[in-house]
Amino acid sequence: MSSTAPQLRSRLPHVAPRGAQAALERARLSVVPRRRTRAPRVPFVTFVTIILLGGVVGLLLFNTSMQQASFRATALEQQATDLGAQQEALEMEIQALREGDRVARAAQRLGMVIPSTPAGVLDLATGQVKGTPTPATATDSIPLSMPGPRRPPELDPDPVRVKAEADPGLSGAPTRNR
Amino acid sequence: MHIGFLVIAMVLSVFAARLVQLQGIDPKSYAQMAAAEGSERVTLPATRGEILDRNGEPLAESVDGRMIVADPALTAKLAPELATFLSDRLGVDYFETLERLRIEGSRFQYVARQVPASKAEKVVADAAEKFKDDEDRPFAGLFTERDPLRIYPNADVAANVLGFLGTPKDDGTAQALAGLEDSFDRYLSGKDGEARYEVGAGNQIPLGDNTVTPAVDGRDLRTTIDRDLQWYTQSVLQQTVERSGGESGIAVIMDSRTGDILSLADYPTYDASDPYEFKDETLYKSAALTDVYEPGSVEKVLTISSLVDAGLAFKEQRFRVPGKLHRQDRPIGDYWDHGTIRLTLAGVLAKSSNVGTVLAADQFRRGQLRKYLTRFGLGQRTGLGLGGETKGILPGGADWTSQVEDRIAFGQSLSVNAIQMIAAVNTIANGGVRVDPSLIQGKALTDDGATVGSEAATSRRVISEEAARETMLMMERVVDPDAGVAPRAAVPGYRVAGKTGTAQRVGDTCACYDGSTSVSFAGFAPADDPRFTIYVVVHDPRRGSGGGSVAGPAFSKLMSYTLRRYGVPPTGERPNQTPVEW
Repeated sequence: MSSTAPQLRSRLPHVAPRGAQAALERARLSVVPRRRTRAPRVPFVTFVTIILLGGVVGLLLFNTSMQQASFRATALEQQATDLGAQQEALEMEIQALREGDRVARAAQRLGMVIPSTPAGVLDLATGQVKGTPTPATATDSIPLSMPGPRRPPELDPDPVRVKAEADPGLSGAPTRNR
Repeated sequence: MHIGFLVIAMVLSVFAARLVQLQGIDPKSYAQMAAAEGSERVTLPATRGEILDRNGEPLAESVDGRMIVADPALTAKLAPELATFLSDRLGVDYFETLERLRIEGSRFQYVARQVPASKAEKVVADAAEKFKDDEDRPFAGLFTERDPLRIYPNADVAANVLGFLGTPKDDGTAQALAGLEDSFDRYLSGKDGEARYEVGAGNQIPLGDNTVTPAVDGRDLRTTIDRDLQWYTQSVLQQTVERSGGESGIAVIMDSRTGDILSLADYPTYDASDPYEFKDETLYKSAALTDVYEPGSVEKVLTISSLVDAGLAFKEQRFRVPGKLHRQDRPIGDYWDHGTIRLTLAGVLAKSSNVGTVLAADQFRRGQLRKYLTRFGLGQRTGLGLGGETKGILPGGADWTSQVEDRIAFGQSLSVNAIQMIAAVNTIANGGVRVDPSLIQGKALTDDGATVGSEAATSRRVISEEAARETMLMMERVVDPDAGVAPRAAVPGYRVAGKTGTAQRVGDTCACYDGSTSVSFAGFAPADDPRFTIYVVVHDPRRGSGGGSVAGPAFSKLMSYTLRRYGVPPTGERPNQTPVEW
């Protein structure tokens, strides 16, 4: 059953006016060959190629940039370590400068001593000085360096004292070797 | 054609056999080898916690350090030049370095250890530049490896408390040798982490395997020590011991209310940043905790306050004090010769009369004094958190005879450590409540599993508040210029309560009193509102020195400095004038 057109035609009366005949003739449908539309291929191929290429190149760039970032990360980490070490070195320097003995020595060179009596306390409400402030004196100075090592007695014998007999025949001057 | 197939089949079977070998027999080891080939394993070192003073100033801190290592196979040729360079830059011994750089058959020789990282890297980089070979390639005979470095920025300040770290063990872990470093080693050390990642040409591969177990850094240990005060205390103690010709000394400053140890000085001491300077291992401790001695008359404070608390005596109570008191084994006398004198209880304390104290202590029921002394903390460890603390010796049971009780009443025949003693005297300052002394702020866990610190400190009432106040009034008479024995312990403008001690000392060689003494002074100020308790002890000073003349002035200096430093105003009250004679 391909088409209903022949049946329709057969049912039409054979005796028909001419005008109608012509109209009928005009109205008759016939199968036309399927129209083949040829879509242009070029844009599609281009599109796909671009996508593919874009993808590959993008991936490559992405990968490269990640590699670059990795290099940079390594370099920055190294830099951070170096700077950290530098900071530590500087902090150690500050610590050395702030060491109690060093500061006290510098202060003592300027003639300062730590007073051995309490200072007066100024009462801000009344403006009075409480306590009995006394000036510090040079006797308040304290030792600023640790003593040397204590040697065991074997290495640190008591000095041997010899009582010299006065010999009237000798003068105090050393005799010279002639 | 057939021959072609045959060849292909043979080749494929070889492949198949290899496949079976790789996948079938021990595939894991191959996988591991493959993984190891391109991956790197790095230990992420945990940073050791700092030890801080009460204001957050570092007393001990860790910095990134390096060891400088030489490869003698490469350095032997340039040894003299290199040794000169290294001894100039690092201060290492020229001859030893020269020898190490020339050792045959070795490829790993230490040149220097625990050098600050920046310095070590710079030295190695400069050496690489300076000793380039003929083809202009940098010198590769020196390299660095991680070697953590502990620094003690204040040298000898608080070294007795801090301890130090020795040369690290072979695996690079720290080796704590003394003090807080040792007793809190686990608390401070933390736990090393590890990172594993795939590398290519020295850089991490972005999407490769990457596992990181982060390092857990050690925790900081905050002490109650006040760095500057500690420095001053050590200096004053050194001066005191040297001027009195003493053998050693101890000075402790304590916050009367909280029990915080603000300063804990021992003399002689050592430099924690260079502990091997003198190689005297007997110094690597805090003698205030590890050494015992007989406290002498300072202990009378405890006896008399216990008497007052028990209602057995009061400060104006009258005593006829003979020159000698004949008891069972040997006569008890005073440090000065006198006939029968008439002293009040306050006078007994102010003049430090042994005879008077024994007479007063006769009121105790059997075992009563011992119970009080135990409540004061004698004979028990104070639990500061430092290792090697002694319990002291408080005789008990059959050892506690009436003769022993007589002598204990004035501070002989029992042994204490300095921290026990200051905590006991501080009980009087703190209104009769004994607070545990603490060296750690907050709390921390020692390696022994004990929780110590100011938050873990407990307190207990030993004597009533009235008894403590009455004892304080008697102690105030000790520094009175007319009534007492230690006017030089006075602090101008402030009320001071204290007690001297001059104890006979058991000698090092004979187990007997050898005539040497331990002189001491313990006291607190302001007497009517105590803020600080200070205890100074000097062992074996020149003959004839006493607690008042040697330890008293040191106490006065330290108390003045502490009151000034913490801005404590005088209370403005006048010292009490309780009669000492009748």
